[in-house]
Amino acid sequence: MNVQQARIESERCLQCFDAPCTAACPTHIDVTKFIGMIRSGNILGAAEVVKTSNALANTCGSVCPQEIFCQSVCTRAQQDSPIQIRELHRFATQYERERGYSIPKVFPKKVGKVAVIGAGPSGLGCAYELAKFGYDVYVYDSGRPGGVPRNSIPSFRLADDELDLDTKFLSQFFALKRQTIDAKSFKNIVQSHGATFVAIGLGLDRSLGIPGENLKGVVPVLTFLEKAKAKPRSMKIGKKVVIVGGGNVSLDAAATAKRLGAESVILIYRRSEKEMRVWKSELEEARAQGVEIRFLTNPVKVVGKSRVTGIKCRNTRLSKKKDKTGRPIPVEVQGSDFVLEANAVIVAIGQKIKADWLGGIKRTSAGYIKVDDDFQTSLPGVFAGGDVIAGEGTVVQSVAHGKHAAQAIHEFLSAK
Amino acid sequence: MEFRSFKEIEVYPTRDLSYDFLGIHFENPFILAAAPSTDNVDMVRRAFDMGWAGAILKTTSVEGTRVDLCYPMMSTFDHEGKKLFGMGNIDLISEHHIDKVEYNVRMLKKEFPEKMVAASIMAGRKEDWQSLVQRLEEAGADLIECSFSCPQGNIGEDPGKMLAQSVSATELTARWVKEATKKIPVSIKITPHVTDIVEVAKAVKRSGCDALTASNSIQALMGIDIRTFSPYPSLGGRSTYSGMTGPAIKPITLRTIAEIARNVDIPILGTGGASTWGDSVEFMSVGAGVVQFCTVVMHYGFRVIDDLKSGMSHYLQEMKFSSPVEIIGRALPNIVTHDDLPRRTIRSHIDEELCIACDLCVVACRDGGHMAIDQRPSRIPSVDHERCVGCGLCQHVCPVDGCISMQVVP
Repeated sequence: MNVQQARIESERCLQCFDAPCTAACPTHIDVTKFIGMIRSGNILGAAEVVKTSNALANTCGSVCPQEIFCQSVCTRAQQDSPIQIRELHRFATQYERERGYSIPKVFPKKVGKVAVIGAGPSGLGCAYELAKFGYDVYVYDSGRPGGVPRNSIPSFRLADDELDLDTKFLSQFFALKRQTIDAKSFKNIVQSHGATFVAIGLGLDRSLGIPGENLKGVVPVLTFLEKAKAKPRSMKIGKKVVIVGGGNVSLDAAATAKRLGAESVILIYRRSEKEMRVWKSELEEARAQGVEIRFLTNPVKVVGKSRVTGIKCRNTRLSKKKDKTGRPIPVEVQGSDFVLEANAVIVAIGQKIKADWLGGIKRTSAGYIKVDDDFQTSLPGVFAGGDVIAGEGTVVQSVAHGKHAAQAIHEFLSAK
Repeated sequence: MEFRSFKEIEVYPTRDLSYDFLGIHFENPFILAAAPSTDNVDMVRRAFDMGWAGAILKTTSVEGTRVDLCYPMMSTFDHEGKKLFGMGNIDLISEHHIDKVEYNVRMLKKEFPEKMVAASIMAGRKEDWQSLVQRLEEAGADLIECSFSCPQGNIGEDPGKMLAQSVSATELTARWVKEATKKIPVSIKITPHVTDIVEVAKAVKRSGCDALTASNSIQALMGIDIRTFSPYPSLGGRSTYSGMTGPAIKPITLRTIAEIARNVDIPILGTGGASTWGDSVEFMSVGAGVVQFCTVVMHYGFRVIDDLKSGMSHYLQEMKFSSPVEIIGRALPNIVTHDDLPRRTIRSHIDEELCIACDLCVVACRDGGHMAIDQRPSRIPSVDHERCVGCGLCQHVCPVDGCISMQVVP
């Protein structure tokens, strides 16, 4: 968007009172306020509004699925079409990037020490908010800050420098410690800080649990995406790629495989399109790139001698019974087996917690960390948020977890 | 997961926008005009909490003055999809008894000593004007604004004629008011509906009053229902002339303020058509010391103060101004008479890269200019510099920012 396009779009905004877009944004960006500012030509002011509410403003400007958040509830859609809120958000932050940054306040560190483990969206969101409250915040991570957006969101979705803008902006608010955590250091951290926020994400791919999964060429999706992002040039992928999964990560993998030169990319998913938990825009994009999607298809066995040569699949049908997620359970149709040729099979059926040092912290039945309404775990003073408590979510949801957990931590420490 | 409601902690420092004007300290240049938004003390409280620097409470008069309101009183001038481009009202002064307004002034000054609390008054007889001023000054008002220009007819004087339309009546009445004050400043709110605004301003200056509020709403007929022939706002098919405010009257107010500031040395409270921080800069650049707001608040609420303050802060930073005071009067030297304008040869220039080929410039020039822009098969028009005189019409009908410019021919 250029200045004129942004102004025209902003002039369409009705400036609703108590606006639904702000409520729908997990970080509650004051949407009408920042759009009003774009409208009046106060674009730097608009960028400040966005950055005040959302710790990863630049990142979210690129990757936020507005179709399920702010934009999906835009009042203007009832008249013609919704305001392009994310594009305006992005316009404001890009404008600030070109024109120079507003200098934030210095928050005096006087209230106490808090540790944040994991410098992903949730950890950064929490650390930013804690710093605003006046806490001395230490963020621990074994790598560069950024988490999933840094390591596995493909660069065609999120340019690395966008994330750098956010992490650079945030670095003034807290101390970043590069450290790999184990059971002992975790215990030390918990003991030496008033509160600890665990935001370590997941990191371990779930396996299919079918024969042949150990063959060469069967790649867990995170390994695949991380490698493709870190070493895009030396990365090789076969001509025929099959991806197993039905989430956004599987679509990222499909689009990445296409970009790496795969001739045919087939995504197999055991339910139908309706049950897919993906952003419609990304699904359409994958289709437009030539990704073939086979619904109602279950993998039965990976075929090959030492390397994968194909994947044996079986058709499914949806039963009337529903699982915990409220979606119908797929049932295999006997005698419908077929083999898809493949040089590579990417397994993208979800992730679980990788960390082995969480000790006795209680888990949910799905294996995530269990927290109460205040994001507190079963270990007093230890809080958690982001994917580690809810499974794979969006960047903005994780930032919001961190932000709201920070408030709970503040209340917890204030009551002490 | 449901999140608790969230109050943001400000991350960016607020810039000091405060300065003194008329001997009053203003925390920023933005105040509320005498209007419905300032008639209720709870509303003013909310506005102050949100950051408005001051308020002029809705005009009051003496006991026994009948305020005979009619409803509906609001109407609008909507233009090409924009609501409230102009807003019309047939409202009158506050229905509150002077006792109540006096009480409101007292309460607000007690609760918000740092805010500017002013009262607006209107009367007929000398003793009424004077008793109003005395009571309100006593109550703690920081400033008195006298409405000499309510477009719905004045009380007492010639019905249908505004006080500020008579130079002699303006001077006489303003003198009464000023005489009655002890030390607070008095501003006379005038109308642009006069033959010579400068004469009115001079009369106020001679009276000894401290400032002018320029200017009141524009008398307007807001529209006619073309099927029933009922004018707007329709009260059972009938209506009367409205006072129009809002963005539509901004250029009129700007001219009024500029004309006063260029000719009379008197402080001005700017009002009438400002909606944004940018409008405020314009008002101040032609001589306003502070800017009053009404219609934008009635449309979008007190919350617009956030952008007014933020936008003004960024503007001052961009311009490297240390205070809003530096804006006041800055455009005045650039306003000259037609005789003093530079005579140059200029021609229209179309940036073909930016042009979106709507050809609106072609038709505007063909039928309203000098037939100097030709259509081409590509639809990207070309200017014939022989026929073009440089009137600038094409530039203003062009929908693309920066596409058409007027360039000096050496």
